Parts: sequence; C-alpha cells; structure tokens
Amino acid sequence: MKTYRSYLHILLVTGLLGFGACKTSINTPAPSRGTADFTRYISVGNSLTAGYADGGLYREGQLNSYPSIIAAQMQKVGGGTFTQPLFSTDQANGSGYLRLVGFNADGTPKTEQVTSNLAIRGQITVPGFGNVILYTKYTGDINNYGVPLIKLQQITYAPYGNLSGYFERLLPGNSPTNTTSYLDFVTAKPYTFFTDWLGNNDALLYAITGGADPNLRLTDKALFSQLYNLSITQLTKSGQKGAVATIPDVVAVPYFTTVTVGAILAGVQKVNPAAKALYVNALNSDGSHSARIATAADLIILSFPTSMMGQPVAAAGNLPYGLTPLTPIEDKYVLDQGEVAMTQDYVNAYNATIKSVASSKGLAIFDAYAFLNDVKAHGLVVDGVNLSSAFISGGIFSLDGIHLTPRGYAVVANEFIKAINKQYNASIPLANVSSYRGVKFPGDNTK
Amino acid sequence: MRKLILLLFAIMPAIAFGQGFQVNLHGQKQIGMGHTGTGLLQDGASVLFNPGAVAMLPQNYVQAGMSPLLFKSDFNPSGSTDQYRTKNKIATPFTAYGVWGPKDARWKIGLGVYTPYGGLTDWGQDWAGKYSLESLNLKAIYFQPTLSYRVTDFLSLGAGFVYNHGTVDLTRAIPVTDASGNDGQAQLKGSGHGFGWNAGAFIKTNVGLTIGLDYRSQVNTTVKNGDAIFKVASSIQPNFPQPNTFTTTLPLPSTSSIGLGYKPSNKWTVAVDVNFTKWDVYKTLGFDYAKNTPTLQDTYSPRNYKNGWSYRAGAEYKATDKIFVRGGGGYVTTAVKDGYVTPEAPDANRYYLTAGLGYKVTKSLDLDVSFEYEHLDARTQTNIESQLSGTFKTNVYIPGLSLAYHW
Repeated sequence: MKTYRSYLHILLVTGLLGFGACKTSINTPAPSRGTADFTRYISVGNSLTAGYADGGLYREGQLNSYPSIIAAQMQKVGGGTFTQPLFSTDQANGSGYLRLVGFNADGTPKTEQVTSNLAIRGQITVPGFGNVILYTKYTGDINNYGVPLIKLQQITYAPYGNLSGYFERLLPGNSPTNTTSYLDFVTAKPYTFFTDWLGNNDALLYAITGGADPNLRLTDKALFSQLYNLSITQLTKSGQKGAVATIPDVVAVPYFTTVTVGAILAGVQKVNPAAKALYVNALNSDGSHSARIATAADLIILSFPTSMMGQPVAAAGNLPYGLTPLTPIEDKYVLDQGEVAMTQDYVNAYNATIKSVASSKGLAIFDAYAFLNDVKAHGLVVDGVNLSSAFISGGIFSLDGIHLTPRGYAVVANEFIKAINKQYNASIPLANVSSYRGVKFPGDNTK
Repeated sequence: MRKLILLLFAIMPAIAFGQGFQVNLHGQKQIGMGHTGTGLLQDGASVLFNPGAVAMLPQNYVQAGMSPLLFKSDFNPSGSTDQYRTKNKIATPFTAYGVWGPKDARWKIGLGVYTPYGGLTDWGQDWAGKYSLESLNLKAIYFQPTLSYRVTDFLSLGAGFVYNHGTVDLTRAIPVTDASGNDGQAQLKGSGHGFGWNAGAFIKTNVGLTIGLDYRSQVNTTVKNGDAIFKVASSIQPNFPQPNTFTTTLPLPSTSSIGLGYKPSNKWTVAVDVNFTKWDVYKTLGFDYAKNTPTLQDTYSPRNYKNGWSYRAGAEYKATDKIFVRGGGGYVTTAVKDGYVTPEAPDANRYYLTAGLGYKVTKSLDLDVSFEYEHLDARTQTNIESQLSGTFKTNVYIPGLSLAYHW
C-alpha cells in the first residue's frame, strides 16, 4: 500500500515535470525575403535615420535607430550584418542630449543638457559658413549613413563634409579638406538594399526656426525633384531594391503643437487679466512680415521661453513683450499661419515627387506623412500601449518634440517593414514594439 | 511653457476569465469519465454535480482530491515569428466532500469545498503583451452545505447554499519608463466573497436510465479595498497615489446541467452531460480606485461574453472487483467573442480527453487517479482594447488523485 502510494506520487510529480517539458507551439510559416535581397542593407537619411533623439545624437539613440531595428529583423530572412557608426561607450553621450529632470508645479517638464562623456573633438570655423563642431572620427564599416541635419539639397554638394560635423566624422579626411559628396559616399560600396528617408530637413529646418533664418529657406520644389530623381537613380543604378519614406507634416510633431497660443494667453491672463491677445510677427502674402493678433493657427515652437511674455521691451518703450503690435513675439519663435501653409505646400510637393519617383522605380513606400497625421488624429494603440503625438506622454516623440523615442523608432521600423513586405512579397517579421522604451522619467521605480 | 498635458497612460487592469477559468475538476471518478456525473451516483462529488442525487447515494462519504494543473499557452504576435510561452506554474484545484445520513433515512446532508473558478497564468515581464498582463493568480473557493431528500424511490431533490471566498493577484507592466529604463508595474491584489446556491433533481427510471438536473447560481464576487500597488518612476509617483485600493465585482456565472447515466451491463457505466454556462452576464469589467488622478482613472472595459456550452461523455468499465477503468471527453464552446480575447486565459473552443483508474484499496476506501488533456484551438485575434494582435494556442495537462472513504 505504502509503496503503491509513493509510486503514484512519483508518477504524478514526474508526470507533471514531463508535461512541463512539452511545449505548446504555433506553427509560423518560415519568413521570406520575397524578391528582395538584404545581404547588404544600407540606410540613407538624416537625423531620424541616425537615431537622433532628445535633441542630440548619442549611443543609446543610435542603438535604437529604425534602420538597426529593421536590419535585425532582416537578419531573420537572410539579411547581413548591419554596422552603425556608433559613438564609443566612453563617449556614449555623443553630441550631448536633453534629459528630463523633473516637473514644475504646473506639470510642465524640466530638462537639462547632458554634457559628460561627449564625443566632441573640437570646433573649426569655416569661412563664409560659420562654426562647425567636430566629433570623434568613426572608422570602420558603415551601413547606417544617417547624417543629422542633412538636406536633400546638400547630397551632391562636395564640400558638405566640411560643413557638417556629423558627416565629417564618417569621412576619412578632416574638415576643411573633404570633397566627397554625401551621395557618392553612401553609394561607394556595393549594397543590395537601401532605405532612403531624405528630404525632411528641406522643409523642417525652415519650420523649426519659425521661418526666420535667411540661411534656412525651403528647398525649391524643382530642385528637390531634380535631386530626388538623381539620388534614386544613383541608389538603384545596379538594380538595387529599396524603400523610401515621405516627409511628415510639420504640424504632426509636438515641437509645434505643445505650446499653443491659447495656453500662452491663458498663462499671461493669470498674471495680467487685462491681456486680450498675443501678437506675432507674421508673414504677409508679399513676403514681408508684420505684427498681427495671434490665432490658434499660428504655431509656437516648443523651445519658446514663455517667461519672456509680458516682460518690458526696452527698445519699444518698455511695452510688454508679445502683447502689443509694437512688441510681437519674434518671428523665430512662430511658424505663423502663412508660413505653415507655405511649408505644407512644399511638403506636399516634395511628397508627390517622392511617391512618383519611388513608384516609377518600383520601390516600397512608407507614407510617413499619412501615418503620423493618422497618429496625430487618432493615436495608436500597440500591444496595450496607447501612443500619441503628445509631448512626453505620447510615448513616440522624444524630448526635442521632433525626433522619436526608441519605441517611436520601433513603430517606424515596423511601418517600413510592412511597406517592404508588401512591395517585395516578403515576410520580414515585425519587431516587438513593447520591448522599446518611451521617454525616460526621472527617478527609479518606487519599491 | 512646454505644457505637459497631464500624463494619460491608460491603466486598464483586466481580469478576463472565460471558460478557461471555469475549472471543472470536481472529482477524480468524474474527471476520468469526461466530467460527467450529473446523472450518476458515483460518490460524494454529487454534492457539486447534483445535490439532488446526494440522498440517493448508497453510503456516506468523506473524500478529498487534488488535480495539479499545468496551463501552457503560447502567443505568436501577428507578423512575427516570436513565440512567447507561459511559465510552468502549477495550479492546485482541489475538492473535499462529505456526505452523511442515517442508514435508510430519506435524507442526507453534505458539505462540499471546491474550486470551480481559477487561473494561474504567468507570461513573465518580457513578452509582447506585458502591458496587458504579466501574471494572474485567481482563485475562487466555494463552501457548500447541502441538504438532499429522497421524495420517492425514483426521485430525490437537493439544494445547497454557496459561500465563495475569492482571491486575485494580478500584475502588469505600465508603459512608463524609469530613469534606468525599466517599465513601471501595477499589482492588484485582494480578496472578496460572494454568495449563491444550487439545486438539483435526480430521477431513476425503470429502464435503467438515470437522469440528473442541476442548477448552480451566479455568484457575484466583490473584491473590496484590494491593494492597488503602482511602482513607477519616483518623479511621477504622485500620478499613481500610494497607498491605494481598488474595488471590483466579478460575476461568476450560473451553470445549468442535464446528465444521463446508463448501465448497459453490470460491468459498464456510460454517461453524458450537457452544461450551459451563462457567461453573458459578464458585460463589463470595472475597477474603482479609492484615489483617482487624471492618470489613474476608474476603468470600465467591455467584455460582452457570450454563453458557453459543454458537451461531455464518458464511460467506466469494471475490470475486476477492485479495478475500474474510465475514459471520456468533451467539447466546450468559448465564451469570449472575437476581439475580446485576452492573455489572462486566452479562451477558444476546446476539446478534452480524460482517462481514469479506480482502485478499491479496501471495501470502504477508493483510490482514484485521473488524467486530462485539454487542447484549445489556436485563435488569431486583435484585442479591440489593447490591439494586442496575434495567435494564442493553449494545452492543459491535469493529472489528479483522490481518496474516498465510504461506509
């Protein structure tokens, strides 16, 4: 009896352990590269491609760049190794970046610049251009050619390697001796597949400076078309396949949608109930600027120092800043209604070019314009996370309000993958968005 | 200004229990026969299967059994080759019954302690659905005093009162990253109770067929002032006030059963049962927090379950005077509509197969073992609330052992 029982006991326990070993499995079809070849994938683009985030390029951002996420998934269908021009771990903070340090009593965030462990090696002055910050040189293989700040307009410009610290760090030569254009540099070594997300800065750099910087104009539409055709022709010259992305609408990013005219006015009225309106220096149809009352259609940039509001302006008889036609909010802080319309007109033209050129070459298209506008309008729920275009809480945009968080880049990577799969009849597996972080909040988890 | 519109991270705790949480492990003899028993007189488990049958039991019983359960789910996100599997955690449903009445009396009293609902699911903290659920441990223990009366030789009736003690312990990740890059975590932990009743009738026909009817009422179980623990980056802890409590009500649904038993020979017993579980009472799941903030709102999640059916059949063969061999199986329809499947118990239509072996150790002591294998169909779903999209597939392995003393 006793042995019988213990035998049963052993049977039960070993039985359960045995079942513990048997796996429940779902048969998934083997992923396929379809008609594309990912043996050597390169990514062409600007800061978004480089993994820029929180107002800087730093190692963690690079490690979570959308091209690196795509490449990791491509490796499941025979893709090759993907090497990024990473900052070293000693200089992991790269250019420096913003980090969140807390919140003010009104719920607004406090940020500070990270200044330690940078990869800055110096600064030179390029005559006729200005100062260029130089970063520690990267030597080694490169698959991710993302260069922050680059415009499509600049990709064939031979001296560009002397004007951009981010491009210069990838080149063998030192500024100001470089003569290799960006387009020639990225196409120098053979590759089988590319993604190309260039063109944002042709509109964005104009917009983020409120349309006020004479050196940062919108790239001419015809020039954009010419260069886009040229670049795609060169990128596909050996029959390479690839994917391109359209340019997001400027009003889809929190950089322009977080600090609103209404919110500023409400803040002013708490101190000065008599204040009726804000004034901005707005674009007229003839190209000149003049002051007028601000409306909700005027977009104030994220970095506008609201503490300036109502301060006496000495040059204008100590009238309060931003509250009179003589002391309007300066042009550089506002993308006013006319500037928004003009930027959108250019972006639409650029996107029409991108789509038609890509279609004519049979490339995959990730319509980032439509995607981010949809996220702005409806939000996005992925794996139980509510994502939106809201600043900080939205989870997609990093602290600069333009570039993405790792989670945002993972979402973008999956959109690229979906476009590639569709165009090339492939089945690259999607990345797990929930394993990438959103904005980092100060403090560790409470115990 | 950089106005941060107050953080609105949706925290939607979900205790979605489905047929998957209805644990039908109510007696080893009955498990062995495919969970039939409403229309049979097997042993003290009639307290649960059919209080009406208790008065017809030929003897008095004291018995207890346990059925360690291994719930093995696999999740494959849509468009991915990743597979995430639940950890090997063993749940321990148990039963204990006592039935007593004077010899030759028309009545018997009984007491049942059993676990009709429960779930133990642990997906870990690194899977794609971690913001829906990391782990859930849900238990409902019913205590059921019962009275049964034999009206005539061919009809007996019985009824019981049910007290339920329920506990829940749920964890899930919060999509808020702390300074070290970790997710926040929510834990909801509490216990509650509810009341219900059951009743049944048992009929012996003169052609050897026995018929059982049983109804077990809905038991609304309210968890009051359970602990709501939120671990998040210290800078946003004020959005998740601590300490905090939650209150929620789970309607554990009613079950109606009809069962037939028949002895084609003195060596064979065959039985069929049909059960109807009224899951459609589960319309929404609400969580009411004692302290709310703009971030931490009370939540109401739609569930909209549909009623479930199960069809069961089993047989017992008396191999010798001491040894009984049993087998059975059944099919259970899911309670969870498309779009509402969640990782707590990824419900789907299921079939199961059972086997059992009974051994009469002495004239008055039965030792019974059972084994059950359950297979839930693979189900590819996008949850309407979380957008968690992918395929769930589940297998369940349940050995079991019981001892019954009867006199």
